[in-house]
Amino acid sequence: MKEFTVTTETFDGPLDLMLHLIREKKLDLLNLDMNVLTDQYIAYLEAMEYSQLEVASEYLVELAGLIEYKSRRLLPGFKEEEEEEDPKERLVRRLLEYQQFKEVSDDFRRLYEGRQMLLGKPLAQEAEQWMNSTGDMKYSGTPYELMKAMKKCLMRMRLSRPIETKYTVSELSMEDREVEIRARLDRLPDTFTFETLLDDVKDLPKFIVTFLSVLDLARLHILYFSVDESDTIWLKRGTGYE
Amino acid sequence: MSENRIEEDNAVFLDADYDDEEPAEEKETDLQAEQEAIDEQLRAAAEGLLFLTGDEGITAGMLAEVLEISEEKAENLLEGLQVYYLNDARGIEIARYGRTYKFLSKAFVHPYAKKLFQLGKTSVLSQAALETLAIIAYKQPITRAEIEEIRGVGAEMMLRKLLARNLIKEDGRSEAPGRPILYAVTEEFMDAFQMLSLEELPELPDFAGDGEGSDELF
Repeated sequence: MKEFTVTTETFDGPLDLMLHLIREKKLDLLNLDMNVLTDQYIAYLEAMEYSQLEVASEYLVELAGLIEYKSRRLLPGFKEEEEEEDPKERLVRRLLEYQQFKEVSDDFRRLYEGRQMLLGKPLAQEAEQWMNSTGDMKYSGTPYELMKAMKKCLMRMRLSRPIETKYTVSELSMEDREVEIRARLDRLPDTFTFETLLDDVKDLPKFIVTFLSVLDLARLHILYFSVDESDTIWLKRGTGYE
Repeated sequence: MSENRIEEDNAVFLDADYDDEEPAEEKETDLQAEQEAIDEQLRAAAEGLLFLTGDEGITAGMLAEVLEISEEKAENLLEGLQVYYLNDARGIEIARYGRTYKFLSKAFVHPYAKKLFQLGKTSVLSQAALETLAIIAYKQPITRAEIEEIRGVGAEMMLRKLLARNLIKEDGRSEAPGRPILYAVTEEFMDAFQMLSLEELPELPDFAGDGEGSDELF
């Protein structure tokens, strides 16, 4: 144990660490030597602390379980009957199960990376304009829906101007932008998409200022927003508008 | 040219000659040709709609409604197109993830697209995210506590991240004490991992020893 070296490898939790130790010490998982595992586990956590790495609480929870098991074994006349499941068996079962998911996540990674190689194009812009913009949408939504819709907007903007990547710093405050948007509201239809407000947006800073302005106008109830199933952000004038 | 005309003339002549004898078969081929023409047009319409819907994609159900055909027929049309685009001479393909069909550029196009659009790094999922997703996919609907039990690590932040990326959704509540939220994977998950349905999940490896070769790892 003295020649214990700290690997730079990081572990995805205590079970991952235990699997690593079992493999390294060539322990038989199906006939697990809890003493060796516990010693190795403690040595590893000590080494982690020694190199001033913070030991996450999850590791300590499992450590407590291991030590409890070990100390109970040392007690004379220890009986297991009141246990629902032998803690050792339970740990082995958990390790086996965790190992399955760890293993299969490689397949998931492959599938995910493969999918990244296939690129799609956004919905035709014209089609978006045909889509019914009235109807009974609920003008509310979760931040997650809004985040997802924003990401799509950004994607669309990037795809519509693929090669030009010039960035000029234009100084435009949210207040100024809000004034600009409010001035346009009169001339816009009852409901319109967020993209409509991006007509004059050529760069990312202005895009973001526009978005923040819309959020602020929504806060003031001047605009209401809604995100539909195709992640289009719809806006309409709210009660705070004049 | 002239030869062709003679043949045509002959054909007309022959048709007239045998008109009375084989009318049934004649009509059948006519009908068949007509049906084929209709099918071809429907397939072309499906192709056009697929193009318009872009990466939102279209389901057989949606297509059936628009083209006023049965869902089964719509599925056939889409599958026919899928096969057509499999051809190596085409740079795009029709993928089906979950129930949605969509046009995508083929993988071999990616390096060029990267150059053209100066694409940055492709998005990655951490090991922890992949493991959590795998657990949900195999065990859904599942509670946070159950996920934490398997991974031995707190899952709250991870679940929030996966919710934000729309790879998982809340799927009702468990009957267990405290009625904890249940989680399940989404259609976006199917897309991200190129799956038609959860039946396509890779088989879980067997380490418990009842399978063959399971002890080799230790």
